[in-house]
Amino acid sequence: MSRHIARKALLIGWDAADWKIIHPLLDAGQMPFLESVINQGVMGNLSTLRPILSPLLWNSIATGKRADKHGILDFFEPDPHIGGIRPVSSTSRKVKAIWNILTQRQFKSHVVGWFAGHPAEPINGVSVSPLFPIPLSSSPENWPLAEGSIHPVGLRNTFEELRIHPAELTGEELLPFIPRAAEIDQSATNTLESLAKTLAECCSIHNAATWILENREWDFLAVFYNAIDHFCHRFMPYYPPAMEGVSELDAKLYKDVIPAAYRFQDMLLGRLLALAGPNATVMIVSDHGFHSDDLRPRSVPHEPAGNTVWHRPIGIVCMKGPGIRQDEQIYGTTLLDIAPTLLTIFGLPIGEDMDGRLMTQAFAEPVQPDLIPSWEDVPGECGMHPADLRVDPAAALAVIEQFAALGYVEAPGEDRTKAAASVMREQEFNLAGVYLDSFRPLQALPLLEKLHRANPDQVRFALELARCYLALQRMDDARNILVARAETEPKPWADWLLGVTYSEQGRHEAAMEHLLRAEKANPRLPDLHLRLGTTYRQMSRLDDARRAYERALELDGNSPAAYLGLATVSLSQRRNREAAEQALTAVGLDHYLPLGHLVLGFALTRLRQLDRARIAFETAISIAPGMLNAHRWLAAIHSQPGGDPVKAAEHREIARELRRQRQARKNAK
Amino acid sequence: MMQMLAAGGLPVLTDGVRVADEDNPRGYFEWERIRTLPRDPQLIGEAEGRVVKTISSLLRFLPPNRSYNVIFMRRPLGEVVASQAAMIARRKTSGPALDREAMVKALQTHLQEVAAWLATQPNLRVLWIEHAELLHDPALYAAEIIRFLGLPLNVEAMAAQMDRSLHRQMGRSQKP
Repeated sequence: MSRHIARKALLIGWDAADWKIIHPLLDAGQMPFLESVINQGVMGNLSTLRPILSPLLWNSIATGKRADKHGILDFFEPDPHIGGIRPVSSTSRKVKAIWNILTQRQFKSHVVGWFAGHPAEPINGVSVSPLFPIPLSSSPENWPLAEGSIHPVGLRNTFEELRIHPAELTGEELLPFIPRAAEIDQSATNTLESLAKTLAECCSIHNAATWILENREWDFLAVFYNAIDHFCHRFMPYYPPAMEGVSELDAKLYKDVIPAAYRFQDMLLGRLLALAGPNATVMIVSDHGFHSDDLRPRSVPHEPAGNTVWHRPIGIVCMKGPGIRQDEQIYGTTLLDIAPTLLTIFGLPIGEDMDGRLMTQAFAEPVQPDLIPSWEDVPGECGMHPADLRVDPAAALAVIEQFAALGYVEAPGEDRTKAAASVMREQEFNLAGVYLDSFRPLQALPLLEKLHRANPDQVRFALELARCYLALQRMDDARNILVARAETEPKPWADWLLGVTYSEQGRHEAAMEHLLRAEKANPRLPDLHLRLGTTYRQMSRLDDARRAYERALELDGNSPAAYLGLATVSLSQRRNREAAEQALTAVGLDHYLPLGHLVLGFALTRLRQLDRARIAFETAISIAPGMLNAHRWLAAIHSQPGGDPVKAAEHREIARELRRQRQARKNAK
Repeated sequence: MMQMLAAGGLPVLTDGVRVADEDNPRGYFEWERIRTLPRDPQLIGEAEGRVVKTISSLLRFLPPNRSYNVIFMRRPLGEVVASQAAMIARRKTSGPALDREAMVKALQTHLQEVAAWLATQPNLRVLWIEHAELLHDPALYAAEIIRFLGLPLNVEAMAAQMDRSLHRQMGRSQKP
């Protein structure tokens, strides 16, 4: 086993924290503690996964695995005992989280407030579930702690006292967020109540974390704060400049809430840093960002998780501690990389079944991680719930329905049954999204076809199925779904996807007609401009393509796809150095962009930087193994003098096989 | 099993609401109110000292401040699902949209979970009985039940109650 890099690590989750809001505050000296972490360590973007739903994402952070492996697929799950639904629970997570692995290796491991962390897991330390801070009653005097919130149970009374009820907060605590709170007509809005609730919950979580650091031996603590996300969902329209439609008075009243939320979170960070001490590794991460500029959505879809249109796909990561580089920027990190990196810091091997990798750039010295096939196969007490609690909610619900149909138990009631059915549908939809996001459209297909068949009126199912058909190159199937939608849907989505379909079929004029119609309906969609760019490129209208990609970048300056588009245009125009830089920026923003690595490889090959090109191609196939051109170029590079003829032959063989499969698919069509 | 226990001399809590039918010509020995146990766990107090027939999924809702003897009857799940499907059809209700194989798997998982949970409950003693075994040697199991309950029941009367006709569903389910 490798030596550990640090003896203690503190993982701090800030739901929805975004550099776009943090940078101005850092510049103004208003987040001094975060700045100290950045100065003593590394910082960078953290690419998220899709669907951008916090329960899925925070469990990917904790496990290093995508949601199809860890099993947390929605905010809710069917209640396996009485029917209906309940918040998604720790008993549904199918794999070990970092705190379970550390428990297994006898580290003192604690976790506070993590998404899907209820009931608290029996780890080798204190576990505090996310239900711990929730005010289940309107009165602080009669506020029972939810059963199962605390492990070990002996600490229940202690932790009960650590909670803060929203009703206990006074004007003094709320005024820094809304200095003109006295002007609010509270009979007309619940903004103060909402503010107090978020603030109180945040303080309760913080109290639990600091109590553990002060009173318990610790090697690892993971603490999750959702305050930034909650503040953003409630108050982001007022963040200056306020969105269109916000009244002048409201804009003035609430303009400070978001910056104050970040400043407050920074104060809490200061206390955590002081308690953790200078020798602990400290990692601060967010699962996604939050639109705070022109990309703020003007409407929210009326569908489950419709609110996620606010989520920006780039989160934050910063880390300081022993062995970590100082004052450096890192690139290409995804939230899947957090758990593998923490394991390496503790000198433990990374599971080969983890989807993430080590954040190698973050370390001052090269680190070679150890690997094991899977932590799931390692026996021993890991602090997960016993098997009888780890139920499959969907199967359990089927049993309840069966018993109810037989008259053995009471039927859950129409509302509960509907709610459970709706949650199971969402879980399937989200699972399909996970498959599509990880380039596995074949696995997404049966789920989406089933959802579309059962709910033909649901536009999102239809569009996602069309996207899946597109990924599978089943253009006619995609078009069949979309044509009807383009006529009936006022939104640009169907036109947009139809444009994509025609574009992929080489029918560029037809594609342009639909894409321009979509642009007319909504000119503020960066991804639409990306598709316009691609179509112009296919039509060899390279200057138009460049303008479209630049327009996408104007709308979203951190779009990896826009940089990739520009790189492809530059490559076509033989501006190779420019292409390499743009592709490098693209993969820096999103490491899991196989085309980005491929284009980078092409540009580097032309620049005769063959070693770097080889790495780029190898990275591309590590993400998308079926990338024919990457194999062809690797074969060519390894065939050069001084290359590796065995590897050249291997890649040539793989390329030949891929070509054969491609031909077979064409013939089958 | 309910008839067997009643014949042995145990008082049975039943309300007679569900009458004998094609599925169970000897009657059901059911106490309908047990279905409301999840929302009213204390009602089990009314069954103090008596036998109540219930379903595995309701065991979790038994209040932990009492002690219970559980006689857990097991049958091959293929038979159970076939029997339940026939009952659901006759009741004109509808079960979950699962095929037979998936339903067997769901029940299997459910039973494993219940068994694991029962193993950790100090106030629930459990006697597991295979239905087919009971049919094969009623006297042996009558004696076993008497030992488990520690009560002076009538072993001959219990064994005589076993009626092979109740096992017809097994035969049905085995037909192609």
